[in-house]
Amino acid sequence: MHMFVAAWFVVSAALIFWPEPARADNTTLVPYSVSKQYTHLTRDDLREIFFGRRTRWPDGTPLRVFVLPDHDPLHIRFSKEVLGVYPYQLRSVWDRMVYSGTGVPPTMVESLEKMKTVIKETPDAIGYIEK
Amino acid sequence: MLSVISKNRRRRLYSQNTSFCCYRFFISILWVLPLSYAQCVPALELGIGDWQAHGFVSQGYTLTSEYNAYGHSTGNGSLDFTEIGVNVLGHLQPNLLIAAQGLYRNGGGSDREDFRLDFANLDYHFSLGKQATAGIRLGRVKNPFGLYNDTRDVVWTRPGVFIPQSVYFDSLALRQAMISSDGGILYNRFAVGDHALKTEFVVSEPLDDTGGAAEFLTGIPNARGKLGGRPLFIGRMGYEWQEGRFRLLFSVVNLDRDFKSATPGVSSGNLKVLYPLASAQVNLEDWSFTGEYGRITAERSGFTPGGVTLENTSESFYVQAQYRFTQDWSALLRYDSFTANVNDRSGNHLAAMTGLPKHRFYARDLTAGLRWEVVRNWMIAGEYHSVWGTGLVSPVDNPDLNQRNGPERWDMFSIMLSYRF
Repeated sequence: MHMFVAAWFVVSAALIFWPEPARADNTTLVPYSVSKQYTHLTRDDLREIFFGRRTRWPDGTPLRVFVLPDHDPLHIRFSKEVLGVYPYQLRSVWDRMVYSGTGVPPTMVESLEKMKTVIKETPDAIGYIEK
Repeated sequence: MLSVISKNRRRRLYSQNTSFCCYRFFISILWVLPLSYAQCVPALELGIGDWQAHGFVSQGYTLTSEYNAYGHSTGNGSLDFTEIGVNVLGHLQPNLLIAAQGLYRNGGGSDREDFRLDFANLDYHFSLGKQATAGIRLGRVKNPFGLYNDTRDVVWTRPGVFIPQSVYFDSLALRQAMISSDGGILYNRFAVGDHALKTEFVVSEPLDDTGGAAEFLTGIPNARGKLGGRPLFIGRMGYEWQEGRFRLLFSVVNLDRDFKSATPGVSSGNLKVLYPLASAQVNLEDWSFTGEYGRITAERSGFTPGGVTLENTSESFYVQAQYRFTQDWSALLRYDSFTANVNDRSGNHLAAMTGLPKHRFYARDLTAGLRWEVVRNWMIAGEYHSVWGTGLVSPVDNPDLNQRNGPERWDMFSIMLSYRF
């Protein structure tokens, strides 16, 4: 019983802190990859990838990550709804990598159309699209 | 009559100084203009794998009352605060990273080193399961210390124009030894769901022969000599919840250096520094709250008067709130405190011992600031500091600091414009 109450507290605390998914239109944002479309990716996997900690796919091929600009509403939605973080958390980790020489941040593309094209053209690339 | 002449001369010197400042300013504008063509490109993709080049140009303007900071900042202010950096990053292999950054920096009397190699390192990491990695970084590496040290010279990563001075010391020669060092870092990150533990450990040769660090560390004015001996140890470990929404860090710097004197009348000796620092940060959607607390214990022997061992412990801490009221605007409020000796918080005892004003032995700084990202990759930050105490005032920018009996309270206003790609 005590365990149950404790677990309930932990779960509800997590829910309180979780950002509200803002679904103004009835779309969802999903990770998008052509060559690795059948690779199953959990939220933890996606965080490892988009925060720049994972640099290769399970089969050893180099991972290339593409994102939209920080202020793009779709980037904000992907950060909050899929990764469960605020966009400025990503920015601060990427800036740290760039200015301390500890990693390579994702490549920025200007639009969703550009994102689709570049992912089709770049081997083993991942980004996100609206569905 | 004499006073008229000297006033005129002063005016002439002053106008020369101002035109020199303008010249510097235009030089930095010239730097920025060609780069700004790349404004629509967030980073320079080099076309080979994930290779990228990034850079930044930041120009500050500082206006102070009573004391100088970042150049001759009293009167009409100073433009002696320029930070320009260019870096290249890329993976040679999916797990092997190479990165280097050149940095030009002018910070008035506190930094006259101009161009330097900021970092140049190779980094190899491997996975130890789904959410665990370990790695090694070799070369000239950035010193992992506290929340801001790794990227301290890039205004985009700072909460405002300046990082908290009590913890990070920009105006004193110690900063040169804190920025980067030559050696290696072992690191790992281990996570379960939202919870992550990170550890970094550095063994390196500190850059304490640059920027007057030897003079500062020994505490002897104009001391010439070489610091050598045991390498520098730095450790940083921390807990992070949800990618940094809450973060707790503990860092330690341990320096143990032998000073070989080249100054007549000054003996050689040894210097030990232990600097533990605790850091905490909460990052909410609109608000960020940050605090860091540290104590520096320095033990000097040999070159001290009478050869005795002198031990001193100072205290540094700040609390800070940031509010992001739109995507482009944020505000900053901070209280920052430095005490030169924890057993003499008011400076009374040290003042009686040295004959210096007691406010030389502490600094309390209340800061309010604003930051605006005008368009993408262009930013302007401004802040006002109300300061009590001169413990962190640069003696190079204020050569008469220890001779004159200046006031305890002074003000600083600062603006920084920055462009990055």
